[in-house]
Amino acid sequence: MKINTRQVCFILFAYTAASRLLMYPSVLSAACRRDLLFPALVNFVISTLVILSLAILSSRTDKTFYGLLRDSMGKVGARVVFGFFAVYFLLAAFMPIFEHEQYIHAIFYDTTSTRVVFLPFFIFTAYAACKSFTNIGRCADICAPIFAVCMTLIFLMGVGEAKFVTLLPMLKEPPADIIKGVGDTALWFTEPCWLLMFMGHFKYRKGDAAKITLSYAAGALTVLFFLAIFQGIYGGIASSRTFAIARTSLFFSAIESIGRIDLLILFVLEVVLLFSLVLNIQLGVHTAAKCIGTDRLAVVSLVINALFALTVLIFDKYYGAIYELFTGWFWIPSIIFVLAIPLLAWTLKRRKNEKKAG
Amino acid sequence: MATLEKNIKAVKDVLKSEDVLVFEFTSKEGKKFAAIYADGLINKELLGELVIKPLSECKKDAEYEQIKKMIASPEFKDGEKIKDAIKEISAGNVAVFIDGEKSFMIAGLKSPPVRAVAEPPTQVAVHGPREGFIEDIKINMGLIRKRIKSPDFMVKTITVGKKSETAVAIVYIEGTCPKGLPEKIEKQIKNNEIDIVADSSYISNFMTRHPRSLFKQCGIAEKPDVFCAKVCEGRVGIVVDGSPICLTVPYMLVEDFQSVEDYYITSYRATALRILRVLALMVGIFLPALYITAQLFKIQIIPFKLLMNISSSVAGLALTPSVEMFLTLFVLEVLNEASIRMPKYVGLALSVVGALVLGDTAVKAGIISTPAIIIIAFSAICLYTVPSNIETTTMLRWMFLIVAGSLGPFSMVILGAYIICYLVNEQSYGVPLLAPFAPLVKSDLYDSLVKANMFALEKRPGVFNSDDKVRLKKNED
Amino acid sequence: MKKRLDKGKISSVLYWLLFIALMGLFFTNDFGLMDIHKTSIITAVGIDCPEEEVVVTAEVAVPQPSQSGENIKYTLVQGSGLTIADALDEINSKLGLYPKLQFCQLILVGETCRDKDVFRVLGCFYRKNYSELTTLVAMCEGNASDMLAMKSEVSDRTSEAIRNVLSDEINKSGNAIAQNLKDIALLEYSKSRACFMSYVQPVMPGTSQDGGNGGNKGGEPIPQDEQQGGEQQGQQGQSGQGGQGGEQGQSGGSGGGGGQQGQSGQSGQSGGQTVEFVTHKTAFFSEGHFKGVLDDTQSFALAVLVNKIRVAVLQCDAEDLHYTLGLKYVKSGVDLKVNNGVPEVTISFKAKALIQGVRVVVDPEKIMKDDEVSNVILQSANKEMERCFNGLIEQCVKTDSDLLGLKEMLYKFNNKYYDAFSNDLLSRIRVKYNIDIQSVS
Repeated sequence: MKINTRQVCFILFAYTAASRLLMYPSVLSAACRRDLLFPALVNFVISTLVILSLAILSSRTDKTFYGLLRDSMGKVGARVVFGFFAVYFLLAAFMPIFEHEQYIHAIFYDTTSTRVVFLPFFIFTAYAACKSFTNIGRCADICAPIFAVCMTLIFLMGVGEAKFVTLLPMLKEPPADIIKGVGDTALWFTEPCWLLMFMGHFKYRKGDAAKITLSYAAGALTVLFFLAIFQGIYGGIASSRTFAIARTSLFFSAIESIGRIDLLILFVLEVVLLFSLVLNIQLGVHTAAKCIGTDRLAVVSLVINALFALTVLIFDKYYGAIYELFTGWFWIPSIIFVLAIPLLAWTLKRRKNEKKAG
Repeated sequence: MATLEKNIKAVKDVLKSEDVLVFEFTSKEGKKFAAIYADGLINKELLGELVIKPLSECKKDAEYEQIKKMIASPEFKDGEKIKDAIKEISAGNVAVFIDGEKSFMIAGLKSPPVRAVAEPPTQVAVHGPREGFIEDIKINMGLIRKRIKSPDFMVKTITVGKKSETAVAIVYIEGTCPKGLPEKIEKQIKNNEIDIVADSSYISNFMTRHPRSLFKQCGIAEKPDVFCAKVCEGRVGIVVDGSPICLTVPYMLVEDFQSVEDYYITSYRATALRILRVLALMVGIFLPALYITAQLFKIQIIPFKLLMNISSSVAGLALTPSVEMFLTLFVLEVLNEASIRMPKYVGLALSVVGALVLGDTAVKAGIISTPAIIIIAFSAICLYTVPSNIETTTMLRWMFLIVAGSLGPFSMVILGAYIICYLVNEQSYGVPLLAPFAPLVKSDLYDSLVKANMFALEKRPGVFNSDDKVRLKKNED
Repeated sequence: MKKRLDKGKISSVLYWLLFIALMGLFFTNDFGLMDIHKTSIITAVGIDCPEEEVVVTAEVAVPQPSQSGENIKYTLVQGSGLTIADALDEINSKLGLYPKLQFCQLILVGETCRDKDVFRVLGCFYRKNYSELTTLVAMCEGNASDMLAMKSEVSDRTSEAIRNVLSDEINKSGNAIAQNLKDIALLEYSKSRACFMSYVQPVMPGTSQDGGNGGNKGGEPIPQDEQQGGEQQGQQGQSGQGGQGGEQGQSGGSGGGGGQQGQSGQSGQSGGQTVEFVTHKTAFFSEGHFKGVLDDTQSFALAVLVNKIRVAVLQCDAEDLHYTLGLKYVKSGVDLKVNNGVPEVTISFKAKALIQGVRVVVDPEKIMKDDEVSNVILQSANKEMERCFNGLIEQCVKTDSDLLGLKEMLYKFNNKYYDAFSNDLLSRIRVKYNIDIQSVS
């Protein structure tokens, strides 16, 4: 087995939360203002249910998703589906890369930094994306505790300034805005697809479905709590406070005397953010390699990341347009890949290995 | 030509060196003998007492078997081939040839010059044993045997080095160490043919999966108590003749944060010290990099008051922050290297020149600033809290310094993430280098960065997957 | 036959290339970066709005070479333009360095900005992330540039002296209402759209500005014209440039024309005397427009309601004597409920009082019982507090400024009435006081 259940749980907890700490809160706040928790809740409830269903599906088969597809649709069919998944994963990573680039320039550098400073990211992703699932799992083993410690510190530094009454009155924003919030933030919800890819790569033991679902729920709760703190601190100006994680601890009383100690926490947390961002690219590379039928992941990774680097360099200045584009229509592929396909996976042939069943 | 002369000639034809001496003597009754040995490697007193003196009583017509019984040396064996004799003489033993006999005797009277057993300089302990390994494999094995008396304790001795023929002992406890590991190690060492094995570090290179890796893959022990504790945990130990540093595998990175003393003091203090070491190491590696990245890219990291101080210090400096730090670190490395290599009596002068003249004058001349010197000095001190990893950590400090000075804080994060991604893949004989953290082995966390009390460590490390899992059993009354 | 390239060799070549590139960047890192040598650190900003343009005066820390601790020269640099950004840009061009506002700890809005929309003036800072939202904001009497040029009695740096009187400790005693950029931003985006900030005044050392909250006026605020006295030269120099501003060297130097205001302004004020700063008053704004300055008692009332007060001082008269009471364990709050179609505001205030001073010679034996405050005094204190709150509410109603955030409360907690009352809430409210000051013993 390449990965174990604990590592899957860590990924679903830490990476879920880590991937939503930058633009996600301000995008939600812009769409739904004081009701920003509700679209997040809707998305999380849906995703949690899909993850529960996938976790249960994992208990019924020891095959990988590719194996299930191959058995049901043949090798070509499986490759085609994986090809679509590759495109989906890479598109899902596209917007967060831009988001990340903006974050780095805004928070990690005091003044306008050149684009060169972001290029090492692609060197790293080219290296990391061709690593195995074992590597993904072990990285999660390192990242989950780092994430837990950093977030606890950030929460402690921010919660004192948060006035949770800012979230009142609840559900007074127009329902259309909440629906818009759900749609606009759909691109951040790729976790069910992660689990779909991990299926069959971890050994299912009794109770694992509950563990996996609860881990995801814990990640979701962390995000919801963070959103509440963020809105509690910034209220009406939350939508203009992009890169929420860097703004939450700003008002901690000790900062004035000891300096921006929170920046050091952000630097450490950035490692987790990187791995959470790389995961989509990693899965994109793995699925693309399966689709092409090659085992030379390094080459695939190199090509994909070179394309990413070029795209970022070219479209960097059109960030606003890309943001509009992605938040506007990404809910469509999300419905297909996050909701429909994981549920349709139940219809695939899922006989357990005879050896195991015996 | 008589047999004795023929044998002597055969040996001397190969061992032409003048330090290979031939001592010919005759018994009272006229039997001729010749003892051949390498000068300086044997104990001549013992040769006289245990070999020559008994043989001087030998009868002229004594049989070989009778002569053999006269030798009083406890370490003794026969030989027939001249090449065996040559090998033994080179190894520091004495070959005794008898006139008229084809066979010869080898007396183990090896006594090469060795230093006394002393406390090693890098693994000093306030509490606990002070014995350290020395360069002699026999004494080292004796120190180990003194501590492990179990019948399961096994030693496999092999010879490595085409020219040096260095003895290497692979020691382990059967049932405790991972199955097949000693054989795997033996094979891996034997696969390498090298002229000389001057130190155990040669062997550690043979055992590394990625020889170009910045991170080592063998643990080291300079003290027998540490070595034995590691072997008892399930590791395999490697003792190399001529090296006071013994190796242990499988190795985990966390081992370097565990000091020998941690096991002799309270668990609370040990835990605090381990955390301190980790923090110190982090500070040592990252502080210079963070300092220049703050100056170049993110001034906000520095508290306002401190920033004002630093700004005053660096105002008017001719060098950029990165070059200033590079220069300061370079000077430190030069001083460090020079202080190790330089004769002791020049050391004091070096300290004066390095610390006072160079440091003070450079600051006064406006070449480097006071904060830069403080940071580099503190960083150097911090790194020495984990001395066994100093080679790696010093390189990491340089790497982080260069990326921080060139591309700023984000590249530092990227480098950190890269190292994590690299390290999680690395393993030493099947045991991940980052165990017990990645993969997480809950039971082993009790002796990782945290040192639990002895009763919490009742099982051997889970990563070794030993057959005999229990290391401490408390019998209830 | 092509020999397959060794993976190890490729990676080793790549590592070397990367290393060389990094070393190149390391030794030449000057691709548009602003390092510590090129950065001027702005510690405070003063904003004045003479006529149509904005004049920004920046207190800039200029590090001086020193190997024995801090040696900073603080200089005032002015820039002007139609927007704050224009003015900052001009400062940048004058300094030849990249100004950093991340360390700006104070924004002083000059009285000349009365006619401007304060949200527009300050919005530049909090909307564009020019500076951290923790930066304190205050309004000052007269020009902000003059205020920053004054020499303080308590600190080498004027802005630091002003920040001292806006400190947390003073906030907790109700003597000032320190607002930061975030507070102003939140108020702009709240339903109330009213904001307030401390009103900083300079006083001559040895005098005291309004002795407290009880209304006994004292002190000797420096008259505006006197503050400017001796500063005419500098002013002329400035106006001569058509408001282009100039540099003011705080450490002295000759002022005058050509935009170089130098220290003449500072040395001129009060004949070169140092000043102290007080913040007993509060400037307030509604919909971004300046509405007035709350007096000491009204400011105290507002401070009690918006700050978390630890210890406050209240002055009251009882039994023909003037008492100074110390208030501890203060709990206060504003509540809004709609009863029978009428919005009812309840202002509650609870505290424990002890006598801190009486304006007569007191019998020593009586001092032993100082901790016991008689009912008469307590009643007087209650009335005094009610008078303070009443004054505040009246001012709010009169100027239609929702300083207590009643509209926001209505929206949050009584949302169904929001549409009905939001337009004229202040004129409809019925105020109830629930004041309970008890003896600390």
